Amino acid sequence: MAISGRFVAVVLLGLVPVLLFPGWLTLVATIALLVALLSAELLFAGSLRHVTVTRAEPENVTLNNAVEAVLTFHNGGTRRLRGTFRDGWQPSAGALNPVQDMDVPAGEGRRFAVRLRPVRRGDLAAPHVTLRSFGPLRLAARQRTIECPGSVRVLPPFHSRRHLPSKLRKLRELDGKAAVQIRGAGTEFDSLRDYVRGDDVRSIDWRATARRSTVVVRTWRPERDRRLVMVLDTSRTAAARILDETRLDTGIEAALLLGVLAERGGDRVDFVAFDRRTRARAASAGQGTILGRLVQAMAPLEAELIEMDWAAGPGEVRAVSAHRSLVVLLTSLDSGAPEEGLLPAAERLASQHVVVVAAVRDPQLGAMLRDRNDATAVYRAAAAERALLQRAAVTAELRRYGVEVVDAEPHDLPPRLADMYIRLKAAGRL
Amino acid sequence: MTGLPTVGKKRRNAGEATESTPGGRTIPGWLRRHRGMAAAGMVAAAALALVVGTQLAPKGDAAPLSVHNAGPNGARALGQILGRHGVSVHSPDRFDAALDDLRAGSSPTLLLYDRNGILDAQQLSLLKAEAERVVVVSPRLETLTALDTGIRQAGVVPDAFQVLDPGCSHPDAEAAGQVTGQVTRQGAFVYDGGMSCFRAAGTAGMLAISSDGRLAVLGSTAVLGNERLDELGNAALAIRMLGSSPDLVWYLPSIADAAVSGTGETLDDLAPDWARFLGPWLLLVAATAVAWRGRRHGPLVFEPLPVVVKAVETAEGRARLYQDSRAIDRARDNLRAGLLVRLSGKLRMGPAATAEETISAAARLLDRDAAEIRALINERPASEARLVAWSQALDKLEKEVKTR
Repeated sequence: MAISGRFVAVVLLGLVPVLLFPGWLTLVATIALLVALLSAELLFAGSLRHVTVTRAEPENVTLNNAVEAVLTFHNGGTRRLRGTFRDGWQPSAGALNPVQDMDVPAGEGRRFAVRLRPVRRGDLAAPHVTLRSFGPLRLAARQRTIECPGSVRVLPPFHSRRHLPSKLRKLRELDGKAAVQIRGAGTEFDSLRDYVRGDDVRSIDWRATARRSTVVVRTWRPERDRRLVMVLDTSRTAAARILDETRLDTGIEAALLLGVLAERGGDRVDFVAFDRRTRARAASAGQGTILGRLVQAMAPLEAELIEMDWAAGPGEVRAVSAHRSLVVLLTSLDSGAPEEGLLPAAERLASQHVVVVAAVRDPQLGAMLRDRNDATAVYRAAAAERALLQRAAVTAELRRYGVEVVDAEPHDLPPRLADMYIRLKAAGRL
Repeated sequence: MTGLPTVGKKRRNAGEATESTPGGRTIPGWLRRHRGMAAAGMVAAAALALVVGTQLAPKGDAAPLSVHNAGPNGARALGQILGRHGVSVHSPDRFDAALDDLRAGSSPTLLLYDRNGILDAQQLSLLKAEAERVVVVSPRLETLTALDTGIRQAGVVPDAFQVLDPGCSHPDAEAAGQVTGQVTRQGAFVYDGGMSCFRAAGTAGMLAISSDGRLAVLGSTAVLGNERLDELGNAALAIRMLGSSPDLVWYLPSIADAAVSGTGETLDDLAPDWARFLGPWLLLVAATAVAWRGRRHGPLVFEPLPVVVKAVETAEGRARLYQDSRAIDRARDNLRAGLLVRLSGKLRMGPAATAEETISAAARLLDRDAAEIRALINERPASEARLVAWSQALDKLEKEVKTR
């Protein structure tokens, strides 16, 4: 049960008789009257025992966008149900109007929409709905909490989408759809066409030229139907925050941009999120766009506080793609012991695949390095120097195995990784 | 690649009804969930009860010369001894009770110790009339005057008289012999008039007995107190004076006896009738307001928070370790190695360049003496102050190479 502000006001009004006719009798009589009023209110309030709540699952929503969650109350009782309800969304679901008035006549149903503006990625839950049914005077209410689990999937925002048009243009240049100055923009023979001024003379096909009166050049196009495997590290190092987002979020942004780009480039895209076991998978084969499947797979990912099992990494990749592929490892370079984890795994992968390691660099290390004002600052500079040297050593070691390394600050990583993909594709290394 | 664990996760269909069961609302369930809180609450309640109990418990009587007080200044010893010798000792705490006891006893003796002068003349004369014998201990001037016995105060026993001789022909005094005189903590007084015994100087004595023998004034509490009852003839004097009749009324007037005279109306009497109900009713209103605002609209919802750590935290932790252990050498090695790596990159020396090659290349670029730069780069700072200066010099050198 619950009481309303009106009841408090009524109790305050009870002061009038008590003060006008002071005495124990008045006091007891007033209290008895109030208790009777309260009981009558509770008695005449609509019963909550026969209410059923139905929840329509809200659609997926990207972060910082709004969505409506719809609740339907059916009043199976004999009295009209007047009162309020509260939809129990977890705070990060950002319910704008979780508490609403409701008025459901007996035997009827009513539908109410709760607006959500989620502030966190993932599956956000609402375990229950709490109903308050007031009496005719709205003095007191019966209250009941009904288990009615629901959830909304909040998808990653894909901020790096803004880089997509420029990267796609670069990709089309490779495709021969735009003028290309260099030979070797792709390795697959596409077609023959007339020479136009500016074409590389090395691409003139003399045999075809001899058959015709004009000079004919060969055109090339990049390979298609190559395979791209993205491995996202969700271990403890992914929980580290750099600037205003975690490594995991940066990795998700980079993977989304690369995945969409590669699909447009005609390649097959596979995505694996992995730490000690597979957390999520998505592939371009199948229905729908790769973007939709990627965001669905990535939405519930959280960094797990366990160490990455790099020894199982090559096996994961093999399970996804048995052929030579471009393997992109979205991880960090400064995890505890890369010599034992990342390096051997990258070496093993590099023997069969083209491997790219994409890691986020912390711009704060650079700031720490430059500050030399006092002893504390110098010690901080020394520690930052050590971290950077370690990264440099790991990077050098990786390059020695023929692994490409993309080491960039958070907002830079997605476009830089996309550039790396385009460069490899142009060089025909896929 | 279909049917993957997360992508193809079966979402609940829209329109699926969820039936409800109110679970965990029973009292055992509540207790199970709030075990820790309940235990802590019980401990707190027990502690509170203990404190309140000890504060409210009737304490042992601490009044001076009370027959229930076993302390040095009490008179429990004397009370017990008299009781064992067949004297029933009454210790009324109010004036009316004292009068009743006196009336009920047969030829009762009254011991009156009114150290604050609470009783007025009327009360004193009532008591005096009812008692067979009255022993007044260290009376104040008003009390002595009101009793109207012709005995007057005559000062204190001088410090020199630690022990007093009887010095009179009263049988009790003679039988007792010497008694305790002046004691530092409890004052001893002398009185003049009637028969005075235990004289200190002149005619005034510590014990004065009225001419009719019904009233005795004793100028010392030490004679009766627990602490010195066993010394000299104190016990003999006390027992003889108080144990001569079967009933002894041991009356120590308290402040409550003074209230009888009445001091006027209290605030409650002056306030109007309705004022009595105003406070409690407002409390009731406050309580309902608390119930109104305090009732939550449903249980709290669990928010699983992800773990997020600042990435730079490891480097900062290492910096603190360096500083705490004053690892000057380690810091110097790091800074030097970082500088050389960056310089060799700037000078396009390749990763295989040695320190010496990098230094000479930098010297050539800057057109400076190689030995000077080598000395700077290879220096080992001995103190933190030197480390700071050295690292600033390195920074300057790097900037010069960068801008050249």
